[in-house]
Amino acid sequence: MSLIKICVDGEFYEVQEGSLLIDLLIKIQAKVPYFCYHEALGADGNCRMCMVEIEGQKRPQIACDTPVKNGMVVHSQGEKLPIQKIRKDILELELINHPVDCPVCDQAGECSLQDYYMEYGLHNSQMYGLQKVTHKKHIDLGSNVMLDQERCVLCARCTRFTDKITHTHELGIVGRGDKAHISTMPNKKLTNPYAMNVVDLCPVGALTSKDFRFSQRVWFLESIESVCMSCAKNCSIYIDHNKLKYQDEKIYRFRPRKNLEVNGFFICDEGRLSYKNLLENPAKNTFSENAKEVFHHSIAKANKIAVLIDASLFNEEIEMILNFCKKINAQAYCPEHLYIDPSFEDDFLRSKYKVANIKTIQKFRIKNDMPKSFDLLLNFNHPASLDLQSPNIISFQTHNSDLQTLLTLPIATYVQNSGSVTNIDGITQYVPKALFSNDPTPTLKEWFKRLCL
Amino acid sequence: MTFQFSQDNLEHIQELKKRYPCVQALNLPLLWMAQYQDGYISLQAIDEISKITTLPPMEIYRVATFYAMFKLEKPEKLLVSVCKTLSCKLCGSDEILQHLESKNVKIEHAECLGSCSTSPVMQINDILYEDLTTQKVDQVLEQLL
Amino acid sequence: MKDVKLVSKRFHLLNSHTLEVAKANGVYGDALKKAYDLESVEIIQIIKESGLRGKGGGGALAGEKWLLMPQESERENFLVVNCDESEPGTFKDRQIISKDPHLLIEGILITCRAIKAKHAYIYIRGEYKTFQDILQGAVDEAYEDGLLDSCDITIHRGAGAYICGEKSALLESMEGKRGHPRLKPKQKECEWFFDHPTLVNNVETIASIPHILQHGAEAYRSYGTTQSPGSLLFAMSGHVNKRGVYEAEFGTSMWEYIQHFGGGIKNGKKLKAVIPGGASTEVLNAGEVLNAKLDYESMKEMGSALGTGAMIVMDEDTNMVEALKNLLEFYHEESCGQCTPCREGTGWSNKLLAKILSGKGSIQDIDKLLEISDTMNGKTICVFAPALSSVINSFIGKFRDEFEAYNQPSAKGIQ
Repeated sequence: MSLIKICVDGEFYEVQEGSLLIDLLIKIQAKVPYFCYHEALGADGNCRMCMVEIEGQKRPQIACDTPVKNGMVVHSQGEKLPIQKIRKDILELELINHPVDCPVCDQAGECSLQDYYMEYGLHNSQMYGLQKVTHKKHIDLGSNVMLDQERCVLCARCTRFTDKITHTHELGIVGRGDKAHISTMPNKKLTNPYAMNVVDLCPVGALTSKDFRFSQRVWFLESIESVCMSCAKNCSIYIDHNKLKYQDEKIYRFRPRKNLEVNGFFICDEGRLSYKNLLENPAKNTFSENAKEVFHHSIAKANKIAVLIDASLFNEEIEMILNFCKKINAQAYCPEHLYIDPSFEDDFLRSKYKVANIKTIQKFRIKNDMPKSFDLLLNFNHPASLDLQSPNIISFQTHNSDLQTLLTLPIATYVQNSGSVTNIDGITQYVPKALFSNDPTPTLKEWFKRLCL
Repeated sequence: MTFQFSQDNLEHIQELKKRYPCVQALNLPLLWMAQYQDGYISLQAIDEISKITTLPPMEIYRVATFYAMFKLEKPEKLLVSVCKTLSCKLCGSDEILQHLESKNVKIEHAECLGSCSTSPVMQINDILYEDLTTQKVDQVLEQLL
Repeated sequence: MKDVKLVSKRFHLLNSHTLEVAKANGVYGDALKKAYDLESVEIIQIIKESGLRGKGGGGALAGEKWLLMPQESERENFLVVNCDESEPGTFKDRQIISKDPHLLIEGILITCRAIKAKHAYIYIRGEYKTFQDILQGAVDEAYEDGLLDSCDITIHRGAGAYICGEKSALLESMEGKRGHPRLKPKQKECEWFFDHPTLVNNVETIASIPHILQHGAEAYRSYGTTQSPGSLLFAMSGHVNKRGVYEAEFGTSMWEYIQHFGGGIKNGKKLKAVIPGGASTEVLNAGEVLNAKLDYESMKEMGSALGTGAMIVMDEDTNMVEALKNLLEFYHEESCGQCTPCREGTGWSNKLLAKILSGKGSIQDIDKLLEISDTMNGKTICVFAPALSSVINSFIGKFRDEFEAYNQPSAKGIQ
């Protein structure tokens, strides 16, 4: 496909011949509203909001169904045609039956209807004396998804998602005309492992997360780009968090972040909800006053030192530990068996390795074995440490466990740390520090400094 | 409780499969068959149709709710569809509708039944009753109820 | 008035629907023989020259449509005959399938030869079950007689959706899906049924083919006007003495038609208005009716459309506001709901008119109706909403005083 030139609002752009006009308009951030188009789902042409003026066409055309042609001239705000009025009028039609739920709707603040109303609408209600169409509200669809049929604009993104992406066909538009609404089949629920993505796809508050329901207003949340560390796919995410006055940092939710190299537009539900376990039950420090002494004393005393390295650590941390192993002549191990769950793997995003950085472990050829005999075990957060019975364990842990140790040193979880991870396909991403706690736990790097390793 | 097409219907289905380039086209014919067999379209029938057409049950269900003539609930009373569109309204369909209010039937306000020269009309169980008067309505209902 | 019977010549015969009577009266005779002696492209040329226009409401040139079908194709071509006839006031196709189904079958055979199709489907509306049985009987007779050896015919029953008369929605329905009209392609091309090139034509259009083949394109053009040659099964209902379907050539004066075939207005009343072509066309007031001619170009010049040629006649006592309300209820019920302007606009305009009728409306509500009508025009996936738009505009435009009469001076309208 060759590159061609088209003109949008007076500026010239080079695009692939045959690509959709709306893709360019989104890329150049032209002010063109749309509900039903989505890059991953394609166009449906039903919302009629993305209409623009194209020279040579007497009627406005929807940008999502218009492939670009050489020499096309587009006026996204309309020159001869009243595009702005058309947008306003179609938006008004979207709003007439929309319940004024904003004060109790989670979507407020990230709602397309609200945004477009402020940008293109600002109408007064003309429904005086007329009954709005009503449907069912707060339906629990299962998989942490709540449905409010009245708020729906029938963009069909959610039904196209369950049809084309997950192929599970749970959602559909039922009924006809303005009685049409989104539903599952009677007595059936949403049961696929990617179900919660419909919450992100829904441009309004029709599909919301039960997990996030009534938790926080989105304008109080800070978003930081990060990576999901639940499995080896390392899907790109946003971490939404905030810190209420006098309280500590709290994560409210993970959302998928567009990354065409890794996860596309979606994440799995398990990864999405993995934020819950992160900050619960953090490891407590024991013997923190003389930790340095105990540490060095134990190392000096031991003849044979084994080191367990968890595959959830960052690339830089793993390298640092390996260098330390060389220094103290210790053998490094990373048994994989506890990470592997073949039933978790699918042909979309989920990997059978339920840990983030197994690729780096494998790259450094760390032994895929349990250490057999040792005088001292240095455990860097590996879950298999629980299977080893020994009085001589020093453990660096993110969370509490029943492990009997000489010394347990707490380390920060990945959201309170920064570093890079490499996913199962070999793609490396940098994870910035997301949370700044009131009383921060040291990272592994900081412990190495403190312990003078 | 499962749904099974009758033997006759199953044979008919095999015939129909040969007539279309794709088995999904059988969706509407099968919905009709199920409705004639049971009097309405049950969820179990939808599952069975889904197996034959290879369309997911949700697709069958979406289609069934789209069309006015498909009934998804067991009928309790005799269904009487009266045309209420303009040509019939101009010729007295309102009177027929009012008269039927007093009868023990389920009244459906149907849109143009394509019988405008013999209005007012009503349709019961696929049969069209034309040139209606209130007396004719009573005669027909007496026979059917 | 010229007696024109190009399609309806056998309607009056006893048992006209049977093969025996049909064959004895000219069906499967000259026309079919001529067609089999011609090449496909030659048949299309004749149809093109005849100027035959589609009789489903759009009036597009049939020959041009046939030319969009590929003569050579990897995937076989199909013919789909549109018998979804749900346009209010229209009941002409039912006459053909119940009184002369073999004429339709003959037309199908010739058309299939022209577009090189081996299978024709007849999509018939769900409510026409008794007529479908007659048609199926005729198809069975044709099979037994060996007439369908080169071309299969399958009747496909709809289930009560006006929108499935729109050709792309019809094909969606036949593919086993909801009847949602498809987005229109950027350039003219044929229709697609499971990715097979498909021609969709109205019943009467196909039923007109045998006459054209038998008597030639010139003969067909001797009826009607230059731009609208031939004839149409016009239908008449409402406040006339003799309601029914009566064939007439294009160009006939509407008022003469109403007098001659309809026997004039019932009960000696005066004419008030006529909806000329089924409920999707602009209403004509009495003055316009007197000047109206029944052909596509004249109707267009008057700001209306011929549509399906189904005249709904209204006398002086008709309440035009209630008549419009009736039509808005129809549109509200039949909207497929796919795209926003139509889904919400049909509902809103229906409710707004109900408010006006109840006496609680105001001038602003009437103007708002016109605004909604404007929003629905030209911005939707199919022409359902623009049709409603033209109906609302014409009713309010020509009978505004009746709408304003419902106003209460102190009524609260739009704030």
